[in-house]
Amino acid sequence: MSADLNVVGQSVERSDGIGHVTGRTRFFGDRSFPGMLHLKMVRSPLDHARIIGIDLTDAERVSGFVRALTASDVPHNLYTILGLIGVEPEEEFVLAEDRVRFKGEAIVAIIAESEAAALEAVSKVHLDLEELPAVFDVEEALRPGAPIVTSWGNNTFMYEGHPCRRVRLGDVEAAFERADHIVEGVYNTSPIEQAPVETTGCIAVPEANGRYTVYTNTQALYFSLDNTAIILQVPGNRLHFVGGTVGGGFGGKVDVIVEPIATLAAMKTNRPVRFAYSRSEEMQVSSTRSAWRIYIKDGISRDGHIIARKVTSYADSGAYSRQTPYALTKHAANAAGPYAIPNVSIDAYCVYTNRQPTSAMRGFGVTMASFALEVQMDKIAERVGVDPWTIRFINAYRNGDMKPHRKLAEDATLIETMQAAAALVGHVLPDDLRAMTSAPRDAGPDGGRD
Amino acid sequence: MTVRTYLLPRSRPEALGLLDEHGPELLVMAGGTVAMPLINEGISLPEAVMGLRLAGLGGLERAGDELRIGATATLTQLLDQDAVPMLREAARNTASWSIRNMGTVGGNLFTPPPGGDVAVALLALDARVTLASTRGERVLPLADFLTGFMSTELAADELLVEISVPIPGEPTAYLKLGRKHASTPSVVTVAARLEWRGGRVTDARIALGAVGPHPIRAREAEQLLVGTRLDADAIAAAAVAAAQGCEPFTDGIATDWYRRRMAGLFVGRALEQLTPGAAGEGR
Amino acid sequence: MASRIVTFDLGGREVEVMVRPMTTLQSVLRNQLGFTATKDGCRQGGCGSCTVLVNGQPMLSCLLPVEDVAGQRVTTLESITPAEGLHPIQQAFLDAHASQCGYCTPGMVMVSKALLDHDPAPTDDAIRHALTGNICRCTGYRPIVTAVHSAAEAVHDAADAMRGSAGERAR
Repeated sequence: MSADLNVVGQSVERSDGIGHVTGRTRFFGDRSFPGMLHLKMVRSPLDHARIIGIDLTDAERVSGFVRALTASDVPHNLYTILGLIGVEPEEEFVLAEDRVRFKGEAIVAIIAESEAAALEAVSKVHLDLEELPAVFDVEEALRPGAPIVTSWGNNTFMYEGHPCRRVRLGDVEAAFERADHIVEGVYNTSPIEQAPVETTGCIAVPEANGRYTVYTNTQALYFSLDNTAIILQVPGNRLHFVGGTVGGGFGGKVDVIVEPIATLAAMKTNRPVRFAYSRSEEMQVSSTRSAWRIYIKDGISRDGHIIARKVTSYADSGAYSRQTPYALTKHAANAAGPYAIPNVSIDAYCVYTNRQPTSAMRGFGVTMASFALEVQMDKIAERVGVDPWTIRFINAYRNGDMKPHRKLAEDATLIETMQAAAALVGHVLPDDLRAMTSAPRDAGPDGGRD
Repeated sequence: MTVRTYLLPRSRPEALGLLDEHGPELLVMAGGTVAMPLINEGISLPEAVMGLRLAGLGGLERAGDELRIGATATLTQLLDQDAVPMLREAARNTASWSIRNMGTVGGNLFTPPPGGDVAVALLALDARVTLASTRGERVLPLADFLTGFMSTELAADELLVEISVPIPGEPTAYLKLGRKHASTPSVVTVAARLEWRGGRVTDARIALGAVGPHPIRAREAEQLLVGTRLDADAIAAAAVAAAQGCEPFTDGIATDWYRRRMAGLFVGRALEQLTPGAAGEGR
Repeated sequence: MASRIVTFDLGGREVEVMVRPMTTLQSVLRNQLGFTATKDGCRQGGCGSCTVLVNGQPMLSCLLPVEDVAGQRVTTLESITPAEGLHPIQQAFLDAHASQCGYCTPGMVMVSKALLDHDPAPTDDAIRHALTGNICRCTGYRPIVTAVHSAAEAVHDAADAMRGSAGERAR
């Protein structure tokens, strides 16, 4: 190790370590402001319904009630979740307009002098809803006659006019014809809540100079600021976001859901407004990791080389897409795995259902691909009759290999990583695997493809 | 969160008087581990609440052949006693240290499934409950007290004041399956106690948690054991009867299918622990 | 809904608060007294981030009406932080990198304090059992257990050192 490194190889005290162990680290919720109001949401009790009417009469009589916000109060009533990076359409409302598409969707924001008063007022808002048929399974959602969740007539996110993100390399069907083995698998995963111990929230504070300071635990500070500016139709320089101290996120705080409505409430009341999810909201309303269903069909030669891989994936995006279309793109780019396969076909669908919307969580579309693929690799090893290490070594990427999405592998380290992992767990690899490297196939000691 | 009145009686007579005065709308709370979360979330919106933490109902003492447990004795007190090992085991398997310091034995009888793991043990031990009101007192077997999902024999003006437990003379078994090792709701909880004479079972109690609207007895399984030497066949038959006779449900912890299978498996394991000569657990 | 005055001992000093019926100790600490080391993760008794000690016993302040602790002794993380430096448990958490986001840390430290007060040399099992109600979603449990072990040693060594110096003085 180079002698001029000051940090690598050293144990360095965290800059926030003393704050954490003394409890002096200031999370957003540790702040309070004179006259601070509290915002609580009236949420849909149904999975899918038309909104016929909202009656606020009894709620307005609750002592401590300040005001309510409905869709018509929001200047641009659409979240711009991915529009800022060109992924559209925008389809999720800040407050529901004529329809709710999942249980827990926000309909009315109640602002009150205390949390207790806000909760009491929420319980006294009367909703007139007409229940609609709902769909909860990705493949059922794609069948003809399924309840349609979106406003554009089908239940998929559209990628440049296609209902799925597609990756194509070579000719998988021809390769299946000449394969010695065909191995198929279907892999299902559950939605997973990030469940940070600190729930999502913020406090929006009107300043004397006409700006709004927003103390937030978002994982995406400027993304949240831009969204808030667009939704409220104000220049970004009227907003000052203060963040960076996050009590756990894991992708769950990449949503931009709480800041716009809290800031709007601060504008309408000219008072500081706090909007923090309860634990139930965090679990039942905030985005989770998508549930996935992944079908894999592989063609393999007698010696264990995968010559064709066809993947069809469905991510359950829930009622709105949030960041899931982007997760699908990452998924599609990785759905063949870190393996050199000459024929690949990938169709990855972002499917709308009437479930809780989904978004980022640790790995973002790639983790689920890895789970499915690595179980599939073990199945292949079993079918071909080689051990699970060998099947991965002989198929591993090397520098110079073409990936299915037309990127040349440039910094391949899978072989070296597996060699190191084997050493760490005390597994003795055979000599031929120990001699392998990620060097380009034509330049490597074994020349070309093994 | 909208509570207008919080009453904190300092004695049992004061508590009974307040209950009589405020009527059935008064929410009675002991440790708060069940009621407070609902109040905090705005799911429960009581106008008036009576807290029992200071009402002097928290004693726990051995009196002759029985253990007398005040209704607001904490689960920590139950963990610290050694008269009834099964109750110590039940407390150890319930929630976490902080919750055990707050949650009460009486409160556990009102905790809906999959909670109520201590109540499962009490049921297997033939515990009796004392209900008091300004009209007087009555004593009921716990088996008769529990009547349905979140419903009991308790009258609107009555307070559960004490639980008495005959101290068992024979070894007992208590097993809880959760999704984690600790601080976890139950997939199934099994408490079993047998009486013996001449190498044969003369009486059996098997109580099950999280597989019914409240902790339930596996009565058919109990009957199948009487007269047997608790051999493998008898255990298997009792396990099947317990699995068939329970009423499991599906929630975020487990499916009804899984709960039923695990009920059978864990009844079998509990009985194996009670087989003469088995390496001791919970004795 | 008359408010009520409640007095209790907070880290050795008497505090007096005026509360509406059934206000939680958590709310009083955080919102009225500004003692925000006690965290607010679930208000359901499920996460352990709001753990305080009442008469030395860990309890969840989110489930505890403050009226219930009138006249009692409440200890929070602020109360055990010395004027200078850190409590041995805090130092051990810092040294072992036993906090990541930091949100569960106050609850973890408070339960560890109660544990070491009850059992100065806990086993691995005892530590895990004591901390079972405290969730760390960054999943840094192993360094937390390590920190409690080293805190136990540090407390023990400090006690030895004090005994040693007392012995010297006695001679």
